[in-house]
Amino acid sequence: MRNFVILFGLFLLTSCTENKRLPILGERSTESKTVNGETTVDTIYATVPTFVLLNQDGDTVTDKTVEGKIYVVDFFFTSCPTICPVMKKEMLRVYQKIKGDASFVLLSHTIDPDFDSIPLLKDYATRLGSDGKQWQFLTGEREAIYELAEKGYYATAMPDSTEPGGYVHSGGFILVDTQKRVRGIYNGTDAKEVDQLIEDMYVLKAEKP
Amino acid sequence: MRNIVLVLLVLAIGACSDTELMSMQQLSSGAKLYETHCGNCHQADGSGLAMLIPPLKHSDYLQEHFYQLPCIIKKGMEGEIKVNGQSYHQKMPGNEKLTEKEISDICLFVLQKFPERPITIGSDSIEKALKTCVSNSY
Repeated sequence: MRNFVILFGLFLLTSCTENKRLPILGERSTESKTVNGETTVDTIYATVPTFVLLNQDGDTVTDKTVEGKIYVVDFFFTSCPTICPVMKKEMLRVYQKIKGDASFVLLSHTIDPDFDSIPLLKDYATRLGSDGKQWQFLTGEREAIYELAEKGYYATAMPDSTEPGGYVHSGGFILVDTQKRVRGIYNGTDAKEVDQLIEDMYVLKAEKP
Repeated sequence: MRNIVLVLLVLAIGACSDTELMSMQQLSSGAKLYETHCGNCHQADGSGLAMLIPPLKHSDYLQEHFYQLPCIIKKGMEGEIKVNGQSYHQKMPGNEKLTEKEISDICLFVLQKFPERPITIGSDSIEKALKTCVSNSY
């Protein structure tokens, strides 16, 4: 009987964590509005800026493409021998988990657009096993990609103890919600953190706006 | 009792010949070097990555070309190869900074761990392979 009570207690404890809410990252500001003499203050959260990029099929991908989606981004390059293959192995795991669920999209950005041509990205995507829709491989102007990484996804601000001086391609997987707010940054080379990311993707899916 | 343990320990150490002890050290050094220089792409278990990076584990290519392994580690590889029926063409970068001893340790480890039956490669074969090594383009 005592065991049963303990089990039930544990059950209660774990059910509490189900309701966890992910933080909203980035700077925020407030905006006061006065309607009919009543002043209300709204919090304005940082959101990912608009972008125009090309995918592995040469199709244009913009912020509108991921409108209303929960999505995960990362930064890599195809000829990278260091952490990228590990990241891609982990992203493949995420992809296999969420495949077919239209709530989710994965976007991998090359940071070496001069070398990573569209056909090269296509080959890379296909060989990894991506269908090219739910997991897209993006390229564009180098500067635009770097700026998007830095300002949109805080990819430079990612703390990474394993990669000293790791900058834009810091190995982070960045989780973005349906309103384009960054909700989490995970180390894409660490299987445990990627497990957490997968869990958090479903937390976001269950979240009411 | 303690004496028995001691005797057993001495026996156990004595049972390893110098060469065996040496290769144990080489294997553990090779395992560490593999993790640092090879494991990111070929993965810790040698399974490779999808159709991008070929497996080393149970690889028919490694079985047939094991004598080229030292040179492949040093100079990398370019072009298309077939491994277990699947074609791969991702460029492998060379590791010019590794010493002959380090390459030798990696070879020993890889050829022990990943083929279906371990392959032995002599240090003279490794030396020869590295001496005649130019590049690996296919």
